[in-house]
Amino acid sequence: MPKIELSTDRVKELEEKIAKSKEVFGQAFEGFEVKDMRLIWSGGKDSTLTLWICRQYCQEKGIEFPKAFTIDEGDAFKEIDVFLHTYAKDWGVELYWGRNEDVLKAAGYTLDAEVQVSDLNQRNQTEIKRIGFDLEAFPFEAESYVGNHLMKTVVFNTYLEENKVKAVFQGLRWDEQKARAKDPYFEDVPAVELTPAHTRYRPILHFTERDVWDTTMYFEIPYCPLYRQGYRSLGAKTTSQKMAELPAWEQDLENTEERAGRRQDKEKTMERLRQLGYM
Amino acid sequence: MKHVVLFTIDALRRDALGVYGNSRGLTPFLDSLTSDSLVFTQAHSVAPYTQASFPGILTSSYFFDTPRAPKLSLKRTIISEALKEAAGTQGITTAAFHSNPYLSAYFGYNRGWDSFYDSMQDEVDDISPYITGEAINERVDRWLDTVDTGRSLFLWVHYMDTHEPYVPDCQYIEQVDSSIQISKEEMLTLFKEVVLPRDAGNTETVQLLSKLYQAHISEVNTCAKQLFEILEKHKVLTDSTVIMTTDHGEEFGEHGGLSHDGKMYSELVHVPQLIINPPEGKGGRCNTLVSGLDLPPTILDLFGLEPHENFQGTSLFPLLEYQEKGVYGEAVGKLDHKIKDTDRPAYYYREGKWKVIYRQEEDRWELYDLENDPEEKVDRIDSAQEAQKTKEKLKPRIGREYL
Repeated sequence: MPKIELSTDRVKELEEKIAKSKEVFGQAFEGFEVKDMRLIWSGGKDSTLTLWICRQYCQEKGIEFPKAFTIDEGDAFKEIDVFLHTYAKDWGVELYWGRNEDVLKAAGYTLDAEVQVSDLNQRNQTEIKRIGFDLEAFPFEAESYVGNHLMKTVVFNTYLEENKVKAVFQGLRWDEQKARAKDPYFEDVPAVELTPAHTRYRPILHFTERDVWDTTMYFEIPYCPLYRQGYRSLGAKTTSQKMAELPAWEQDLENTEERAGRRQDKEKTMERLRQLGYM
Repeated sequence: MKHVVLFTIDALRRDALGVYGNSRGLTPFLDSLTSDSLVFTQAHSVAPYTQASFPGILTSSYFFDTPRAPKLSLKRTIISEALKEAAGTQGITTAAFHSNPYLSAYFGYNRGWDSFYDSMQDEVDDISPYITGEAINERVDRWLDTVDTGRSLFLWVHYMDTHEPYVPDCQYIEQVDSSIQISKEEMLTLFKEVVLPRDAGNTETVQLLSKLYQAHISEVNTCAKQLFEILEKHKVLTDSTVIMTTDHGEEFGEHGGLSHDGKMYSELVHVPQLIINPPEGKGGRCNTLVSGLDLPPTILDLFGLEPHENFQGTSLFPLLEYQEKGVYGEAVGKLDHKIKDTDRPAYYYREGKWKVIYRQEEDRWELYDLENDPEEKVDRIDSAQEAQKTKEKLKPRIGREYL
C-alpha cells in the first residue's frame, strides 16, 4: 500500500477530524449501551474508516466494541465479500450479514429475474404496498426503487426490530451528495409502521472524499482493491461503474461526481426523460 | 491547435440560423462568427434523436453497432478516452458540461473525462427540466478558473434550451412576435397536449409552437455569446477551434409530426455545423457531404493526434483530402414520444442529391431528389432510375439491429 506524504499541517487537520469523529462516538456511548448499538459496515471506504475510528476510540477507552452489520443485496462484488470477511476476522469484529432471503428465493437468486409480488411473504408484500408500488411483478435489481427498499431498507428495519437495536453508526459524509449537506451528527428516527425507533449517528460527516483517502492512505487503513481499479463508489455490482482506469484517490475528486458510477439515480433519470418528452 | 471546443445545441434546426439563410435575425451573434468560420452546408447527423445521434458525435460510431442497452457500450471509444490514450504525457485536459439525461453518467457518457457535469445532481422543474445555457456557462467559467489553461483543453458544452418543452422567457418571445401573450403554464399545456401526442393538425398551433421554439433560439444565441466571452476572458478563445453543431433538428409538421422522432427527413438530419477558427477555410463554405461521425476524428486531428481505430469517420481536414462518400443514419423508427418494444429501425442513406429512407416496420422505401425537392415531398422510389442503385447502398446496413 503506498504511504503518502502529507504536510504536517494536513496531518494535523486530519487528526482533528478524527478527534471530532471520536466526540460523536463519545456522545453515542454515553446515551446507549454497547449491546444496543450496531456499526453499519458496507466494506466501502467510508464505513471502513468509521469502523477504524470506532475501534481506536473503544481501545483508548477500554470499552467493548459494538457489533457490525452489513447488508447483502444479492448483487455484491466478490471483492467486497472477501474484504469484509478478512477484516472482520482480523479485527475481531462480530459481523452479521442481513439479506432478504424471501425476495432472493422468489427471484431464484437470479438478477433481472421477474419477481411476482404474490410469491413474497406478508412482510414484503406490505412493504411494497407501503412504498406505493402497485404492479404485480418487478425485476430483481438491487438499486431500483422497489429493489432498494426490499433488499436494503426492509432488511435494515427487520434487523433492528429483531435485535432491539437502538443506535446505529453510518459512514455518511456531507459532500457525498448535495442533499446531504444539512445532515446532523445524530438523528432520532421515530417509530413508524414497520420501522422501530432508533438513533442514527454519522461520525464522519465532516470528512470530504479527499479527506477519507488521505486518512486511509496515511494511517494505512485497509480498503477494498476495487478502489485501486478505478471504482469511486461501490454499491451493487451490476450498477457500480469504474470511472476511469486510475485508482480512486488519483482521480479528480473535486471536479467529478463521486457517485456517478452508481445507478441509484435511475428513477431520477427516468423522471428527467419524462419531463423532456421522452417517456 | 491548442484547444478544441465542441459546442452542441440540442434540437437546433439548421434553418434557424442566419448563417443558413434565416432572415428573422434570431441569431446575430452566431451569424457574426461566419467570417471566422468554415460553414458546412451539407452536414448530416447519424440519427434524428439524441440517444442515437451522439454515438456519432462523441464515439464516431452508429447506433446499432452494439446491442441496445442503456449504458454506452465499452466497445465504443468516447473522444475523451481517445484523447487520453493518444495524448499520454502530453496531457489534454477534458471537460464536459451538459444537461441531457441521455448523455449522463447513468448512460455511460462520463467515461474518460477529467471533469464531467451532467446536472443529474441538481434540481430542475417541469417548466425548465434542464440546466439552462446560462447556468452551464457559469460552470464552464468556474472550471476555467481552476484549470491550467497552459495545457491543452478539450471542452464539450451542450445546451438544452431549444429542446422541448418550449417555455421561453417573455423577453425572448418578444423578439420573435410581440403580439404573443401566453403564460408558462399555457406553454407547458401545449407541450403536453400538442407536442407529446404529435398533434400537428392545427396549423395555427404549430406556428405558435414554432415561434416559442424560435424564442429559445434567440435565448441560445445570447448564451452562445456569453460562452465565447467567457472563453475570451480566460484567454483561451484565440487558441481554440470551436466546432458548433447539433445532434438533430426539430419537426414542425413538415412530415405530419412534431418534435424529433425516428424519422429521417432533412428537418431532423440535415444539421448546422460551423467550425470557428478552423485550420483552413476560414470565412468559407464547404458543400461536401459530411457526417457527425467525422467529428471525433477531426478533433483528434486538430490536436495533431493519430486517428483512433474505433472511429469510423474521417477527419474533415485537410479539406482537399476529405473523400466525399455517402452519409448514413439509423435509429429506432419510433413515431411516438415513447419508444415501444415493437418499434423497428429506420435508416437513411444519402449520396449526392439522392436520399433513400427505409422503415423496417412498414417495410417501406422512400427516395428523394434533394436538389429539386429539398423538402422531401415527392417520393421517387417507384419512378427514379437512381432508386435501385441507392437502395443497394443502404441494404447491407439493414437488419444490423440486435434485438
